[in-house]
Amino acid sequence: MSTISATAAVPRRTTGRTIWIGLLLLGFAAGVGAWIYQLTQGLAVTNMRNPTMWGLYITLFMFFVGLSAGGLIVASAGRLFGGERLKPIVRVAVLEATVAVMLAALFLLPDMGRPDRLWHLFRYPHFRSPMMWDITVVIAYFIISLIYVWVYTRHDNAERRSWLAFGTTNTPASARRDDRMKWVLAAVGLPVAILLHSITAWIFGLQISRAFWFTALMAPMFVTSALVSGTALVILIVTVVRRVGRISFPDDLRALLAKLLAVFVAVEAFMVFSEMLTAAYNGASFEADPIARMLSGRFSPLFWFEIAVGLLVPFVLLVVPKWRFKPAAVVVASVLAVLGIFVHRFNIVLNGLTFATVPYAPGVAIGTPQPVGTDSFALSLAYYPSWVEWVVALGLVCLGGLIFTAGVMWLPLREKAH
Amino acid sequence: MSDKVSPIEALPPASRAYGEIGAVSADPRWVMVVDQERCIGCWSCCVICKSENDVPDGMWWNRINTVGDGLDTPYEEQGRLAMHWLPLACQHCENPACTRVCPVSATYSREDGLVMQDSQRCIGCRYCLVACPYGVRQFNWGRPERPVPFDTGMVAPRPLGTMEKCTMCVHRITDGQVPSCVWSCPGQARIFGDLNDPDSKVSRLIRDRGGYQLLEERGTDPHVYYLPPRRKRGLEP
Repeated sequence: MSTISATAAVPRRTTGRTIWIGLLLLGFAAGVGAWIYQLTQGLAVTNMRNPTMWGLYITLFMFFVGLSAGGLIVASAGRLFGGERLKPIVRVAVLEATVAVMLAALFLLPDMGRPDRLWHLFRYPHFRSPMMWDITVVIAYFIISLIYVWVYTRHDNAERRSWLAFGTTNTPASARRDDRMKWVLAAVGLPVAILLHSITAWIFGLQISRAFWFTALMAPMFVTSALVSGTALVILIVTVVRRVGRISFPDDLRALLAKLLAVFVAVEAFMVFSEMLTAAYNGASFEADPIARMLSGRFSPLFWFEIAVGLLVPFVLLVVPKWRFKPAAVVVASVLAVLGIFVHRFNIVLNGLTFATVPYAPGVAIGTPQPVGTDSFALSLAYYPSWVEWVVALGLVCLGGLIFTAGVMWLPLREKAH
Repeated sequence: MSDKVSPIEALPPASRAYGEIGAVSADPRWVMVVDQERCIGCWSCCVICKSENDVPDGMWWNRINTVGDGLDTPYEEQGRLAMHWLPLACQHCENPACTRVCPVSATYSREDGLVMQDSQRCIGCRYCLVACPYGVRQFNWGRPERPVPFDTGMVAPRPLGTMEKCTMCVHRITDGQVPSCVWSCPGQARIFGDLNDPDSKVSRLIRDRGGYQLLEERGTDPHVYYLPPRRKRGLEP
């Protein structure tokens, strides 16, 4: 490709890049292999069963939907509410959002029992299903993100005479038109992004069969946790991309993002507290059982990890001004916040699913032949992802890493001095 | 349908006559009544369901729950012990949670109120399994294994990676026969019939015995009604 920049001329850096890409390719190949194995054997090679019918794949689906929020905040909100300071990182953030939402959609594939029937979604769509709403909005958001990336880079692509400009030119008139276009995109992108997170929440929150999910707080909470993980990931990514010399921004920009993240973490903590209090206050209510599992039962280690490591520590690190300006503290806080939101989402899936809705023995048929002498039924099945699930997940994440790396290498991500 | 016959079909005419649905209204609404007073928790209905519908190992379209805390264990009620069962298969809801969430309409309600599953259209996303409040849907996680090939040929096998569930033996209803579980119940705890006929046995039982629906508060309006066990008044102190 003719657009490879000449900045990465230092040999050491090229070696690092080769190793990085090699590792990603290796991970992706392993994931493809594991998925092929899963396709031949059926979903029996995962640890999902009738009593725990969704697991790591769906968790990662909503996790990556959430991670795509980063692009929205920086690009749309920044433009609509006057975030001129965010300008140097807009392109990276939008690229990150595109890759994240693409990964989210891809994570539905290994979760499907019949991926060969994917076309049924377009042949027999049933629009009363929140799943169908979500597929629609994921596709819409992916297309908007792609247009975003293109509009933000086509000016520079045209200047470099890259085919990625798709015939656009670099003139003052086209610059003015691009500017208008960015406004329109921001105005369209923001509500679609909020819809994306809300509809993903409604896949879960509209299910009357699952007491733990059936709360009107689900959509606002998903928007919030998306903002937390999205902002945290943007902080991490722009730090890395600046490190490899593909963009530049002043240090106080990271502090600004860190301040934003602190606010989002606080709102997330408020949401979780409000949900827990409502459910736990009346003790023996309809929701009491899953809440007990969260506060002191089987899922309490995950829950308290989310609270302590995912919310409390990052908040303290980010809210104290002295630490907010230290790159290491911000990076640690961001890693913990992303981790906390992952655990939060894993908990939503597990705690919502792993108990029989009719609570009488013997419970729900597990769905696969069980060894002689063990039960074919379970009231509640402990779920931990199998190696196949982990490797498939790793493979998809590596694919995302590859696409993102390609974008960083070949797209003009650096905003010109302004 | 193939030329193979159900084990029940092969029985003498008298046995077949026992399974006749009988006269129904012009627009039947199929319901099943399960009498908890009569159920003895023997699992006959579950076993015959497996052979009738060729259900693989590890999967059960029909199961017997024990009311209370443990399997086949009495529970305490007002200082006395009681033991009852709750046979559980697809409730064939009037307002099903599963059909609403299916992204490809692979599960749907028939005109007569039965909830069906189209294994050829199902994409295996398991959203219906998540949505069902009764935990009665079964997913084909792996290749089917069977201790013996029942292979009655009455019901087509379901492919890997798709959902399946109780069909209320819809292939038998077409023949004017009650579902297998109804036919086979030694305590005659299951009664099948037409809710649109106010004089049918099921309508009368639901009226007279206070028939209730499982998880009624969820608004799914099942077509399976349970008759609550009677209080043993004579044993009260």
